[in-house]
Amino acid sequence: MSQESVAATDTVKQERLDTAGQKRTEAGRFTGKVREISGRVLPPAAAFLIGILLWQAVVMITGVPPYILPAPTDIAIAAAENAERLQTAVLSTMLSSVVGFIASVVLGIGAAVLMASSKMVERSLYPYAIILQTIPVVAIAPIIVIWFGSGLNAIMMIAFIIAFFPMVSNTLIGLNATEKNMKDLFHLYNASRWQVMWKLRFPAALPFIIGGMKISCTLAVIGAIVGEYIAGGSGGSGGLGYAITVAASRLQTPYLFTLGLSASVFGIVFFLTVNYFSSRLLRSWHDSELKQD
Amino acid sequence: MNTAVQTPVQMTLTGVGKVYANDTTALQNVNLEIRRGEFYSFVGPSGCGKSTIFKLIAGLSEPTSGSIEMNGEELSKEDIGFVFQNATLLPWRPVLDNVALPLELKGVGKKERREKAQEAVDLVGLSGYEESLPRELSGGMQMRVSIARALTARPKLLLMDEPFGALDEMTRQNLHFELLRIWQKTEMTVLFITHNVFESVFLSTKVAIMSAGPGRITKVHRIPDYERNERFRSSPEFSDWVGTISEELHQHEA
Ligand SMILES: Nc1ncnc2c1ncn2[C@@H]1O[C@H](COP(=O)(O)OP(=O)(O)O)[C@@H](O)[C@H]1O
Ligand SMILES: [Mg+2]
Repeated sequence: MSQESVAATDTVKQERLDTAGQKRTEAGRFTGKVREISGRVLPPAAAFLIGILLWQAVVMITGVPPYILPAPTDIAIAAAENAERLQTAVLSTMLSSVVGFIASVVLGIGAAVLMASSKMVERSLYPYAIILQTIPVVAIAPIIVIWFGSGLNAIMMIAFIIAFFPMVSNTLIGLNATEKNMKDLFHLYNASRWQVMWKLRFPAALPFIIGGMKISCTLAVIGAIVGEYIAGGSGGSGGLGYAITVAASRLQTPYLFTLGLSASVFGIVFFLTVNYFSSRLLRSWHDSELKQD
Repeated sequence: MNTAVQTPVQMTLTGVGKVYANDTTALQNVNLEIRRGEFYSFVGPSGCGKSTIFKLIAGLSEPTSGSIEMNGEELSKEDIGFVFQNATLLPWRPVLDNVALPLELKGVGKKERREKAQEAVDLVGLSGYEESLPRELSGGMQMRVSIARALTARPKLLLMDEPFGALDEMTRQNLHFELLRIWQKTEMTVLFITHNVFESVFLSTKVAIMSAGPGRITKVHRIPDYERNERFRSSPEFSDWVGTISEELHQHEA
C-alpha cells in the first residue's frame, strides 16, 4: 500500500460538493430556530397567563375562602412569608433527589453491564428487575424506614430505589440492541468480550442510557418527596414532602399550593438540566442514529 | 493481473458442506481452488449459501463435511479483511478511528495504528476526511471508509459480501475502478459476493455461479485478462460473458 489516490479524486470531489450543499443551509437555521421557539413558547405562555387571570377572577368573584381554593396572589404571599422554610425544604429535596439519582445512574449502569456480560446472570436476575420495578414506592418506603431509620439516609435510599430499575432495564435493552453486523465485525477482528463491551455495546447503548436517565431523574424527585412524606419527620430539615404533611395538617392551603408548585418546578428544572447535559453528550453522533430509525 | 492462473494455490475447499442447527442445508459438496491474487466472484440468488461460504473461509463457522485447506503459508484470522453490504461504521468515531479499529482491537499502539490507518485512508481517496463523522459522508464515501478499514491490517485475503449492493450505479462504477486499482497494487486475493452479473464480469478473474436448494457451485468461469476500463464495459466480449453467466444462473433457478 502506498499513498497514491489519483483515480479517486474525481469522485471524491463530486461527493465533497454534496457535503458543501448541506452546510449552506445552516446559515438560515438560526432565524428558523428563533421563529420555532417563539412559535412553541408563546402559545403556552399566553395560555398560562390567561389561566392565572381567570383563576384570580373566579376566586375574587365567588369569594371562595383561601383554605379551600387560594387565589394566585395568596399562593405568592404564602411563598414570600415562608421564604426561608421553603428554601430549606427545596434544598433538602434537591439534595436527596440528586444523590438518589446519581446513585441510581452509577449502580444501574453497573448492574446492567454486569448482567449483559453474562447471559446466565441476565436470565436469572432480569425478571426480578422487572418485578421490583412494579412495586409502588409507598409500599417500599416504610420498609426502608424500618431498616435505615427515618431521616435523610432513608429518603435518599427511597429516591435511589425508585430511580434505579428504569436505569437498569434501559441500559440493558441498549446493551442488547447492538446491531448484529457490528458484533460480527468485532468477532471477525477477534475482539475480546471486554473490547466488545466498551468499544461497541456501551457506546451504542448511550442513547438508551440517556433515555433511562430522563425517566430516572423524574422518578428520583418523586421518590425523594414520597420518602420525606413518610420518613422526613425526625430528619431535621424535612424537605418538600415533609413540609407538605405539616402544611396539610395545619390547613395552610395557600402554602400547600406553594409547596406543590415548588416541587413541580424543581422536577421540571431537574429534568431539563439532565436533558441538556445528555443531549450535549450525545450531540456528536446520536441524532444520526435517530434519523436512521 | 495477468498471472492469476499461474500463481500458487492459496486455498482448497474439498467436498465442503454446511448443515445449520435447524437442518437447513446451506451448502453441499463445494469444491474450489482459489489461487493467490485472484479476484474471485460468487454470483447466485439469495439464500444459495454465498455468505455461508465466507463464514467458513473466515473460520467463523465450521463445515459439517469436507475440508478447507490453506496451502503454503498458513492464513491466520488477522490476514483476512471483511467488507459488508452496509458500511458498518461506528457512528461516534471519526473516519480515521473507524479505519484504525482492526489494529486497535489487535492492540497495536496508537501512533502506529494511526499511521497505517492514514495510509489506508489515502489509498481509498479519502484524504482530508480523517476527522469527519460517518454521518457527514455520502454512502459511497462510507463504503470507502469500510474498505479502508478492511485494508489497514494489510490482509492477504479480502472478503467482500455484496459490498456495493446498496449504492447507486454511478457510485458503484467508480468504486469498481477504485477496487481494481487497490487490488492490483496490493496483490491480495479478493473474494467478492454479488448478485449483479455485470459487476462480477467486470471485476473478476473467476466467477463461480451458485444455485440454491441446496446451495452449491454449479460452474466456475475464468474471465480472460481484458483491460478493465470503460471500453470493456461496452465491448461485445463483456456482453457475451454477461449473457453466458446470466443464462446459466437462470437455468438453475427452479
Ligand atoms: N445461522 C444460520 N442458521 C440457520 N440457517 C442459516 C443461518 N445462516 C444462513 N442460514 C440459511 O442458510 C441458507 C444460506 O444462507 P446464506 O449463506 O446467508 O445465503 P446468501 O448469502 O447466498 O443469501 C439460507 O437458507 C439461510 O436461511
Ligand atoms: Mg448473504
